[in-house]
Amino acid sequence: MGMDRPPTGHDVELAASAAAGDRRAYGELVRRHGSAVRGLLRRLGADSATADDLAQDAFMAGFEQVAEFRGEGTFGAWIKKIAARLYLKKVKREARLIFSDTVEPVEDAMARDASGDAASRIDLDEALKTLSRGERLCVSLCYGADWSHGEAAEALNIPIGTVKSHVKRGLDKLRARLARPEEGARREAHG
Amino acid sequence: MAEPDFEAQLTRMFAEAPSFPDASLFNAEVAAKLDRGWTMRRMFIGLAGTAAGLIAAFQILSSRFSSEVTQLSRNTGHNLQTELDAGYSKFNALFASPGSSEAVWLAACLAVVALAFAVTRMVEDF
Repeated sequence: MGMDRPPTGHDVELAASAAAGDRRAYGELVRRHGSAVRGLLRRLGADSATADDLAQDAFMAGFEQVAEFRGEGTFGAWIKKIAARLYLKKVKREARLIFSDTVEPVEDAMARDASGDAASRIDLDEALKTLSRGERLCVSLCYGADWSHGEAAEALNIPIGTVKSHVKRGLDKLRARLARPEEGARREAHG
Repeated sequence: MAEPDFEAQLTRMFAEAPSFPDASLFNAEVAAKLDRGWTMRRMFIGLAGTAAGLIAAFQILSSRFSSEVTQLSRNTGHNLQTELDAGYSKFNALFASPGSSEAVWLAACLAVVALAFAVTRMVEDF
């Protein structure tokens, strides 16, 4: 076995190797999907330190459960679901999951941590900050972690109609903000 | 913009993974945690297997099982069926006696743990 060559292959093959105990194969999956998981957790509302801790926990949990990954979906979607569940568990435990219409300030973690000049990404992260916690959570779960409305409702322990209305309001705000980012910023600056 | 178009655009935007300057550090931390967990697991299984083997050996020796087997082998000249019946009843007697049956079950459990350890080692070495 070549110990210096990084494992290659499709995610499903790497996951199968990881299920057989190959930690290097799993390490490659971490390398490929680590940033996506960290980004998702920040978009859900976690601060940088919490997001990174939860991302590590998600990958550790993923290694324990990797035999259950059969390749029906992508590995990225699978590990993101694990991460999102861990985040929801944490906020529920801390009783911070409040579905109100008010917009709560969220730490500008992404802008500080992320490098690169992908305008759309920065726009999205900025736009997500204008959403209430509930809207942000529901939109990020459904569009970032690929959850269905039903899955989100079940995990959040709220009616599916509430999830749908949070998603709809969130999408409306995002559409307005992403369509006219400068105008949105100006409006915010003037209070 | 039509709703499906915007939703598709949003999905694409979410799919763009940000790049973190400390990505390699994050990967290294996860790898270290995996290694640590694996080592701890191997140590635990190894210790459990060793303890299991010692306890099992002690219990089996003290349960008179070996003397029963010796007795059976001495009488091989006798009628085979009679001996098999006698052996079967002695084997049952082993389980009937509370202390002995516990020893046998304990030994079986510990043997399973030891087997798991061996399998883990094989997977690791492979």
